[in-house]
Amino acid sequence: MAILANPRLVGELEHYGAGDVVKCYHCGNCSAACPFSKEPFIFPRKSMRYLQMGLEDKLRGNLEPWLCYYCGECSEQCPREAEPGEVMMSMRRWLTAQYDFTGISKLFYKSWKAELSAIVAVALLTGLGFWWWGATHGDIRHYDGPQAFLASSFVHAFDWIMGGVLLALLLTNCARMWWFSMGRSRINVPLTEYVRRAWLLPVHFLTQKRYRECEKKRPWAVHLALMLSYVTMLVLIMFFLHAFQEGPEISWPHHSLGYLATIGLIGASVYALRGRIRRSETHYKHSHETDWIFLILLLYVAVTGIVQHALHRFGAGHAANILYLAHMMGVVPMLVLEVPFSKWAHLAYRPLAMYFSELQGAAILAREKSAAPAVRARAA
Amino acid sequence: MEERRIGVYVCNCGTNIAKMVDCEAVAREAEQLPGVVAARSYKYMCSNPGQEMIQQDIRDLKLDRVVVAACSPRMHELTFRGALQGAGLNPYFLEMANIREQCSWVHEDARAATSKAAALTRAAVKRVVFHEPLEKRYVDMCPATLVIGGGVAGITAALELAGADQPVYLVEREDHLGGNVARVDLTAPYLDSARDILAERIARVRENSNIRVLLESEVQQVTGFVGNFTATIRTGRDGEVATTEARIGSVIVCTGYQPFDAARVQSYGYGWFPNVVTSFDFERMLRSGRIVTDKGAPPRYVAIVHCIGSRSQEFHPYCSRVCCMTALKYAHEAKSALPEAYVYDLYIDMHAFGKGCEDFYRRSAEIKTIFLMYRKGSAPEIRQAGPKYDCEMLIRVNDQLSGEEVDIPADLVVLMVGMESREDAGKVARMVNISQDKDGWFIESHPKLDPVATTTDGVFIAGACQAPKDITDSVAQARAAAARILGKIARGRIEVDAVFAEVDEERCSGCRMCNELCPYVAIEYDETKKRSHVISALCKACGTCVASCPSGAIKARHFTDQQIFAQIEGVL
Amino acid sequence: MDFEPKIVGFLCNWCSYTGADLAGTSRIKYEPNVRVIRVMCSARVDPTFVLKAFEQGADGVLICGCHPGDCHYTEGNYKTMRRFPLLKRLLGDYGIEPERVRLEWVSASEGHRFAEIVNDMAAKIRAMGPCLARPALTEDPAQR
Repeated sequence: MAILANPRLVGELEHYGAGDVVKCYHCGNCSAACPFSKEPFIFPRKSMRYLQMGLEDKLRGNLEPWLCYYCGECSEQCPREAEPGEVMMSMRRWLTAQYDFTGISKLFYKSWKAELSAIVAVALLTGLGFWWWGATHGDIRHYDGPQAFLASSFVHAFDWIMGGVLLALLLTNCARMWWFSMGRSRINVPLTEYVRRAWLLPVHFLTQKRYRECEKKRPWAVHLALMLSYVTMLVLIMFFLHAFQEGPEISWPHHSLGYLATIGLIGASVYALRGRIRRSETHYKHSHETDWIFLILLLYVAVTGIVQHALHRFGAGHAANILYLAHMMGVVPMLVLEVPFSKWAHLAYRPLAMYFSELQGAAILAREKSAAPAVRARAA
Repeated sequence: MEERRIGVYVCNCGTNIAKMVDCEAVAREAEQLPGVVAARSYKYMCSNPGQEMIQQDIRDLKLDRVVVAACSPRMHELTFRGALQGAGLNPYFLEMANIREQCSWVHEDARAATSKAAALTRAAVKRVVFHEPLEKRYVDMCPATLVIGGGVAGITAALELAGADQPVYLVEREDHLGGNVARVDLTAPYLDSARDILAERIARVRENSNIRVLLESEVQQVTGFVGNFTATIRTGRDGEVATTEARIGSVIVCTGYQPFDAARVQSYGYGWFPNVVTSFDFERMLRSGRIVTDKGAPPRYVAIVHCIGSRSQEFHPYCSRVCCMTALKYAHEAKSALPEAYVYDLYIDMHAFGKGCEDFYRRSAEIKTIFLMYRKGSAPEIRQAGPKYDCEMLIRVNDQLSGEEVDIPADLVVLMVGMESREDAGKVARMVNISQDKDGWFIESHPKLDPVATTTDGVFIAGACQAPKDITDSVAQARAAAARILGKIARGRIEVDAVFAEVDEERCSGCRMCNELCPYVAIEYDETKKRSHVISALCKACGTCVASCPSGAIKARHFTDQQIFAQIEGVL
Repeated sequence: MDFEPKIVGFLCNWCSYTGADLAGTSRIKYEPNVRVIRVMCSARVDPTFVLKAFEQGADGVLICGCHPGDCHYTEGNYKTMRRFPLLKRLLGDYGIEPERVRLEWVSASEGHRFAEIVNDMAAKIRAMGPCLARPALTEDPAQR
């Protein structure tokens, strides 16, 4: 059955940064240059083709953009400057918006003003809320102890509630991703396979081993550092927040990890920001507005986090509390808006795509294998 | 018969001949033949020492005939003729025996090869005895030129010739000059206006007193030969008809092409769907500045389909060459006239050769033309779209670059019709005596080295009557043809090959059988003498008439019965 | 000694002779039985040439021209084509089997084809044996 092409798709994806896709004339150099591209997922050419032709459903169920780590090799090889790497990046943005059922993600990607306004609004709301809570439940001069302005028990509870909501949103999106790419696909993957290969998920998540297959190792190292720092910080905050807000003595088991994570976050975000400003590497050449917002927020959160910690340790309780407020005014919008609706979501989608694609690949191979004797029999 | 003094030279061609043929033995055997005064075998006969050896013998031994047993005469006949001439002998006193291409290189038995080489050499010796001295001939060149067809090629050729102060008859069938280019809006890849290109040249044609423009005219007949043709041109349609007789020295055929009839391809529904149009229909829309569907509304989706009638086993196997860039031109023009419209381009292969074309292709992609690649033999199908679609038609395409079968929306479909040779090209070909290939295009003298001349001296071809061609190439070819003619005019006279047929009027019975047989109409019947005679300048020496003459009255110079009989005796 | 037939080949200058040269430049091997005589066009082959060849002791005659439609002289080969059945009938009168003459189209690019034709013809005439019509050709027609 023929698919109805949607000529508007290219225009739509232009908002996500895929404008150069129209230049592609399908020589296939990109797919040949890509170190990750292998059977049965030969990319990026085919994804580019789906986009050019306006095959929206095909593109929506396409996992290939997530298999790409944007080393930039393809864009460097492209004879027509169609920027396949950036097109794949844009398709990831678009897919993020497709997986999100609320439509907020689409709004953010299409309008940086909307995203910025939302960030400011959430930040103000957070600031006001926390100020009110602190003013009614504690004393701004105290960072720790029973009179703490923002008691760790309160923040902890808030974090868990927020985490729960975000997790629910993210899981819904993941479920939609599964539906688009696996659920309605003609490739049938039995449940046992899902279980048998479930170990792939944490492996890909924690090691990003595929990224290492890229010829350039530095991007992988930076990315891994950023990701591990982020996860470390998440675990510390979700489970050991009290240890951070006690003191002023340093709790080395917790803080040492926290320092490492902070160094990782600041280092990686400064590196990325500097790269994007200087356009030093292929994958930094094109920056969508959301890339800037994401990096600036990250750096802001990391810096305010470590400064409030320092102020607290040096006994400046009042200042520490104000910084804490400022910190939360960054953290909350970053998590609320970035995790389910924007760039941060890829920390879930990418390992999932790796996992799904392995399942699909195995299923395709198995199908070909079982078809092969039949073909041979026919030929005979 | 007086005694001949023949020299025989057997070439070893390094080892090319010598390793399979015993050249010494061939020479020794030749030495025994009557009239042979010297027979030598040498390493490289075509080398300077080899040629000097022959010339030395001609002078010292007073040779009057020479046989060279070596490579094919197609390779070195002219070389050795030159050697003879250099030693003061008539060049036609040479005969070659082909003992390389047709002997040493194709046989594996040295004994059989040597005996064959000896036989071929013997045949050459026997033949050369009867060789006659032939002289090159010259005829006067009439400076006027007939240009058939007033398209861009014809106009260009006429201007080029007239610019050198030579008279030109420019004959055009329609009531205006310009040909197919006059039907075009912009040109690819630089998007210049075709009107601008033409208007200025047509004005110059009209102003030039050397050019006589004959509109609504057709050439009825061309007789004569290079330098001395007479053309009969008929002007006007039924009723008022005038006839012009023109004396001309050369002809340039620039009759162009005709567009392929899109209705012949069923699957596109041309003639059935009102909004499926041909490239020429679309040019008309572009020239009028109104791109609309039959409902008068601007189309939201424009689809351009390549290769209509071209690159197909069913219609024309060749590529029409200009349609790819013209299609991209349409994409540009449609996008600039209708910025909101989506433009699809359905192609088999994008042929973007030529200056500026690859860049033009790239720019066409950048303005968001959506390219789909269909497969040769699996043409897109067009059907009416139902009410639930926001378009008039749907085109089903099997896209080769994704492997997906898709339906694309279309309000207006433009079919890129290919070029084909004109229906009446055969008539023109017969009139000026040139050949057509299997597709009806006129055949050039040599596809690479002589693309403007034909096998008929004095008749040249330029533009798309020779093969599908764009304006650039047509203009180049027209100027080349004009240059060739100006060269001939500058020399004032034309050399005619010495090899031709002649009628012995004593023996001719006047049966006129040969008159009909001659493919070049080179044999004229003299009513007063009741005899036929050959117009030597027209004769190409095929010998058809010679073989058919019941009285044996026609002699093919350099291929006489006597010479060939002697050769037959020699090989056996 | 085994019988080796002698075949005279009349090849047109533009297609077949060039094709035979191509067989040489391509080093395609074929039997040495055919000896070639170049003519400008296959239409130059006078029936008397063929008779002369048989009279001189040929066992076969091969005439090669351009493919129909490709004649350098526009339509000379069509004339050869029409003349050929008459030639065969004439040869029959002298007791020469029609298989001993052959008309083939060989283009300038068909070196292979020329070699195949020569080999095929050599084999067939070898099987037929020598041509025995020579006395009939050499006798004085006035005494017949």
